[in-house]
Amino acid sequence: MVEADASHALHLTLVDKIYAGGVHALRSIAMRVSKGEIFGLLGPNGAGKSTLVKVVTTIVRPTRVEGTVLGHPVGHIPTLGRIGYLPEHHRFPAYLTGRQCVEFFGAMTGVEKRQRRRRANELLDTVGMLVWADKRIGSYSKGMQQRIGIASAMVNDPELVILDEPTDGVDPVGRREIRDVLLQIRARGTTVFLNSHLLSEIELVCDRVAIMVQGRVAKQGSIEELTRDSHCMRVVFSGASPAWAAEVGGVAAMDRGFHALDFPKASSESVQPILDRLRSEGRTLHSFAETRESLEAVFMREVTDPTSGRARPIGAEAGR
Amino acid sequence: MNIVWMQTWALLVDAYRELNARKLFWIALVLNALVVAVIGALGIDEKGVTIIVWHLDIQGVTSALFPPEQFYHTLFASFGVGFWLAWISTILALLSTATIFPELVTGGVDTLVSKPISRPRLFLTKFATGLLFTLAQVLVFTTLSFFVLGIRGGVWSIGLFVAVPIMLIFYSYLYCVMAVVGSLTRSVIASVIVTLLFWVFVWVAHLGEQFTLLGETVQRVEIAAIEKRLEQAQTVDGRAPLEVDLSEAKDSLAVWRPIHLSLFALKTALPKASETIQLLNRSLKQVADVPTIDEDEMGDGAVAGRGFLGSKYARRRDVQAAVERDMTARPVWWIVGTSLMFEAALLGFGAWRFSRRDF
Repeated sequence: MVEADASHALHLTLVDKIYAGGVHALRSIAMRVSKGEIFGLLGPNGAGKSTLVKVVTTIVRPTRVEGTVLGHPVGHIPTLGRIGYLPEHHRFPAYLTGRQCVEFFGAMTGVEKRQRRRRANELLDTVGMLVWADKRIGSYSKGMQQRIGIASAMVNDPELVILDEPTDGVDPVGRREIRDVLLQIRARGTTVFLNSHLLSEIELVCDRVAIMVQGRVAKQGSIEELTRDSHCMRVVFSGASPAWAAEVGGVAAMDRGFHALDFPKASSESVQPILDRLRSEGRTLHSFAETRESLEAVFMREVTDPTSGRARPIGAEAGR
Repeated sequence: MNIVWMQTWALLVDAYRELNARKLFWIALVLNALVVAVIGALGIDEKGVTIIVWHLDIQGVTSALFPPEQFYHTLFASFGVGFWLAWISTILALLSTATIFPELVTGGVDTLVSKPISRPRLFLTKFATGLLFTLAQVLVFTTLSFFVLGIRGGVWSIGLFVAVPIMLIFYSYLYCVMAVVGSLTRSVIASVIVTLLFWVFVWVAHLGEQFTLLGETVQRVEIAAIEKRLEQAQTVDGRAPLEVDLSEAKDSLAVWRPIHLSLFALKTALPKASETIQLLNRSLKQVADVPTIDEDEMGDGAVAGRGFLGSKYARRRDVQAAVERDMTARPVWWIVGTSLMFEAALLGFGAWRFSRRDF
């Protein structure tokens, strides 16, 4: 049993989910999401991301769970009133208008009538749907429905908002606008839990991320922490690569048509003698900079089977 | 406002909006009004039946036999409720509300179960809001009928409104099956088919129970009639055939009785749809008042083998009266109470399954 945790919006120490039929969707998940941050959950299709989100929002019953959401045990029904949630494959009633939809979910989370009317107006304006607010959802595009979904998830002024693929089906302009909305939400002190398989989206807005592969958390931390191991100093120069490069820990590379040497985990100071040596041997230095892997590279490494070099099988079923 | 009331009200308003968006809801409402208009167009006076201003000469059917109050009550209870609301309007209601539970468990369930509402309460509230269709239809039908009876029959019978809870209870027997099957199978077609089959099953069980009750009652009346004759018989020769008939009647009763009791037990466990509808007749106090064709030719001297259900001594009128007594002796708590127990058990199972499943 995890004690109430005041500093984390979500603190999971052990989550397991085995579906009927034996599919082991979640395996000993442990995860911490600090209050006020945007946390990104990454993973290939079938990694268990949506299952985890559904466990937190009580849509899926866990086989075993230890952890808290906003200081209460996972599954505590009243706490759901302090959470906003946008499901991945939501289907809002086509007979409702956008405004009615937002207000309906406000009522379902216990927001008083006057307040939810005011909140609905504000949020519809924030997501750019005020003009369309009184049209039926059945006439909306996918992107417009996503915006209404975000407004509905925010109507109770939640402390934690969980968005499952919020930019799914949204055009690039809409994605940019949704990212701005997420930053606005964070600016208000709300914790955002963003579930997405779009790496660029996560990298642009998230403070911390977790990568899930086959039902497990493979990596977790800030983007800086995740890419720290790949940090290296790169020296780009003209002329052939020196024969002594390997002796000093350099890895030969090419950069924009020039020879280069990478020094993993090296500091600028430790590379200075090497720069002097390259110069003394008549090579012209073009650049000297710190580099690190992109989130995409980290992600691809985690989802690739090191023995076969191919992507791990889709889904959490494998490796049962 | 308390969050429970806020959520319940929100789900109720949502259900109304959903119905409002369905053409079938409005079509059914217009049909209800038309049926009441047809009832209103009919009338009865000392010469016969009238349709608006035209007279139909149907021998014997006059206001002397059927006072206007009884005429309209009969039309309302037998045609309006017994046929229109209990069959046609109910089928329209089932078709209109069939999508609610399959859609709940496939489409909008994520957004609802992630809210601070327990799953059993969500399931049961959704069920209650599904009754809104019938409530609206019956309320419109009864209100219009109330005015028709007042204006055309000169009777302002507030008692008509008992049809609203009766029809709502009746519909809930069927809708609970539809709700549970719909949420389990997620299929609109499956839930409609299973509900209709269940309705037929309940109806057949009712008919079977009624038939065996009739059979048992015939033998009881027969035995009573024979015993009465035996008391009056003076000679041994006169008593001998009666004793043979009495023995046969008792043997026959011994066959009918256990069959009837079995069907009665089965029916006790099931919703009593027909009897619930008949509660309206009881409340309108007209059941036994409707004249029936007298069967005096089946009287005391009836020829062997030509009596009611093969009886020799039981008169149809006596048997009907005995059956009627049996039926009206069945208390409301048995009719509605045991039916609601079935409904509660089924809904309890549905809510439990809904609470246990992953979406």
